[in-house]
Amino acid sequence: MSNIAGKSYAMNVITPMRWYMTWINKLIFWIAQKFPSTLRGLVTLSLIHYARWVIIGRNQLPHLDKRQPKEDLHYSYMLFFSNFNGSWEQYVDSFTFSIPRGLDLFWKWNIRYPHSVPLTPFHKYIQYNQIETNHYYNATPLASSNDVKSAKKLKAALIEFDRKFNTAVPDQFLDQYNALLRNLQGDLGDMRPTPIVSMAAAAVSKRRFEDEKKLHQPNVNI
Amino acid sequence: MSNVSNNAYALTVLSPIKNDHIGELSYGDIVRNKLIEWDVDEGSPMAKVPQTYLARYFILDDVFSEALAGGDFWGTSYDILAFFSDKFRRRALPKIDQLKSRYLVFSSNFHGDLEIYLRGMWAVMQKEIKEVWGYCYAFDHVHDADTFIAYIKKCQLNAALFFVGSTDDSLEEQLKSLYLKQEFSKFAVEHQGLPAMELQKAYQAFIRRVEPTNLAGPSWKPGQSTLCK
Repeated sequence: MSNIAGKSYAMNVITPMRWYMTWINKLIFWIAQKFPSTLRGLVTLSLIHYARWVIIGRNQLPHLDKRQPKEDLHYSYMLFFSNFNGSWEQYVDSFTFSIPRGLDLFWKWNIRYPHSVPLTPFHKYIQYNQIETNHYYNATPLASSNDVKSAKKLKAALIEFDRKFNTAVPDQFLDQYNALLRNLQGDLGDMRPTPIVSMAAAAVSKRRFEDEKKLHQPNVNI
Repeated sequence: MSNVSNNAYALTVLSPIKNDHIGELSYGDIVRNKLIEWDVDEGSPMAKVPQTYLARYFILDDVFSEALAGGDFWGTSYDILAFFSDKFRRRALPKIDQLKSRYLVFSSNFHGDLEIYLRGMWAVMQKEIKEVWGYCYAFDHVHDADTFIAYIKKCQLNAALFFVGSTDDSLEEQLKSLYLKQEFSKFAVEHQGLPAMELQKAYQAFIRRVEPTNLAGPSWKPGQSTLCK
């Protein structure tokens, strides 16, 4: 099991909500999607790659076959999937500190939601309702979300610089090269494999090390 | 419903797993074991699927109910009515939900169109798809890309809100940008303080090597987890 792939952590949270209150959540999400300025607080959490909320009505779980027993649920459920950088605590706490009211607005109608402040009951609520990931894949495990965004800016600036100054006279080239570096100073910096930020990441790292060791071990007949 | 945010797509799939077992292992546990055994990073089957940014699989065994006294809308009236019948007291308690099937949950964030994505997925990881979805209800009707797409659409749930905190560029674009960031950062550090002409020459050689506008040229690989490859 691993919730971690490189610098990303996969969080899965499923929480029950009263079926007759789902429309309020759907309306709030609809407003948030239509008016992105309402998500400004979320944007400040630059550690998020992608996140989504899915509301499953109590009769909406896929039923595909006559042999499949029909679900008989009292509650509807809200699924929350997030891909973020850093540790679980960093993420949950930064949500609480940055957008406590937004968080409460999204989860307020979920059963037993304790509110985002104080922290300990909120931690317990997420832990109780979180499900472990069995396989997690990240196309850019060496990069954080901020790396991806800064790389996009760097690529555009480098191509533009190259188009204009690749064959400029050396002095002009140097001036513009220095200007390019000044402009990109917040976006430069090399990337390395992820540091170990949790027990789960340590376990993955240990397993991979053991797999590698087995690969390079000569066959020994006992 | 908002599965789409500009060029990024949020796919959420819940496929019911058959209530059966082989020996002491339920189908749900067999699928979980297979998922855990998949290689990770560049070795993951998902690394072959074009345009996948991030993807996850897990088994939803059941839903959760915290067994504390209820604070429902009707709670107070139930408390009063409990004088007359005990059934009202029981109604004030939280309900316990229990799923009748386990579900294979697949969630992916990718660039582009859903059908093209699923077609690409079927083309490159058919073996692994059959290995895990083969234990799910109605998957026996799946035998090619078209029937796989139809099956996944039946299992798909729409997102109520999809938030993109990264970029929605194609994966090739993202990987090339990261490669350039890595290489140019190194170049900048290694060539500090050089005379203009020498720096320009080195820069021109650097550009010829990294080919910034060529996505098919030198770049990072999907899922690349080390820098020596």
